Amino acid sequence: MNTLSLPQSQSAGLSLANSGAPATSVEVRGLTLSYAGRPVLDQLDWQLLPGQVVGLLGRNGVGKTTLLESLLGLRDATGGEVRLFGSPIALMDDAMRARIGFVPQQSQLFDWLTPRQLLAYFRSFYPKWNAAKAEALMARWEIPQDQQIAKLSGGQQQRLSIVRALAPEPDLLVLDEPVSSLDPVGRRDFLRELVEQVLDRGTTVVFSTHILSDLERVAFNVAFMAGGRITVQAPLSDLMDGCRRITGPASRVDAHVRASQLTVLSRRALDGGEVAVLAAGEHEARPDGLGSDALSLEDLFAELTL
Amino acid sequence: MSDPSALSINAGSPEPIYRQLMEQLRRRVASGALVAGQEVPSVRELALALAINPMTVSKAYSLLEAEGLLERRRGLAMVVAAKHQQARSQTERMALLRPALQQAAEAARQLEVEPRDALALFKTILHEEP
Repeated sequence: MNTLSLPQSQSAGLSLANSGAPATSVEVRGLTLSYAGRPVLDQLDWQLLPGQVVGLLGRNGVGKTTLLESLLGLRDATGGEVRLFGSPIALMDDAMRARIGFVPQQSQLFDWLTPRQLLAYFRSFYPKWNAAKAEALMARWEIPQDQQIAKLSGGQQQRLSIVRALAPEPDLLVLDEPVSSLDPVGRRDFLRELVEQVLDRGTTVVFSTHILSDLERVAFNVAFMAGGRITVQAPLSDLMDGCRRITGPASRVDAHVRASQLTVLSRRALDGGEVAVLAAGEHEARPDGLGSDALSLEDLFAELTL
Repeated sequence: MSDPSALSINAGSPEPIYRQLMEQLRRRVASGALVAGQEVPSVRELALALAINPMTVSKAYSLLEAEGLLERRRGLAMVVAAKHQQARSQTERMALLRPALQQAAEAARQLEVEPRDALALFKTILHEEP
């Protein structure tokens, strides 16, 4: 993992709970997994700290879902280790399971039940199940309680899946494209709910989505995935403040990068012997004769997920 | 203002959200819309109103505290710092406007829009309803 030290790396005011005790919510070391001989996760290292909201970014098919499901012990890795709250997931028990909320890409609900039956069923497994919260969300999100789940719309099923994940008041929320079926108003409301969880409970959240504007709002940290690894993880504002895209003739761009002691995060060839380099560090406002552009999250995504 | 709806953000721009918040608060203090002692929305209120990460709000507030625009008053409330009794001078407000206009000027040059036409457009935009 490329651990960046970028300029202006201010630590924000919120302090994390417990100063000494278990340092990580999620600790992944050397995780390796292949499908039909094709490596998907390749010696992947990753860490999530308590209270962090981390956006996971990567192109389609890069293995985000595989990674997220591996965190929960739903995939068998061929090598490496995942620890949640300090314990290996191989030892996952009910107590650990109760601390995790998961919203999968495709909701895996028991679709012959009604929402009321489903929530009553799950309630029995979770000691901290917050029935009042579940009721309030069901009402606010207008999910019919007594209709068979199979007959609900895609958006309603996704909302129900979110309610099911939030009601146990988890310490870790794993969200895999949780809002793909929601309209903009529904998404905003979900983001607010997420912000409230983080404010009230210091929940650790990992969130994968292609809706970058949502991610930019709620993810203070972003992790980019490419080639089976997490290639860059940093506070998004540090990346936006500290990175610029430098374009121009290859030799001149390279000389500039050396002279300014910039860290190159990605590099691609353009037409006519020119290159585009994503570089972090202390940038001059206008390097002579070279292009130098600030980057939006979408630009960062394009450069860092190749 | 303790009304968080006075602030807004634009996701998708190259300007990080914390800097957008800082810039808007600087402008509101410079114009006199916010004066010494007035509370700004709490981290919680603003994070919920804008559906953004509370750390982003904290970061903006801490940096504004460091530059002397805000002060932390008993407990957690942040208020506009005592020295900002009234709107800033015309000169100072113009200085705050300059960077935005510089960017617009650069865009106009790149597009090879005549200064006269660019100014006419700016005039029209100034009179549009926000």
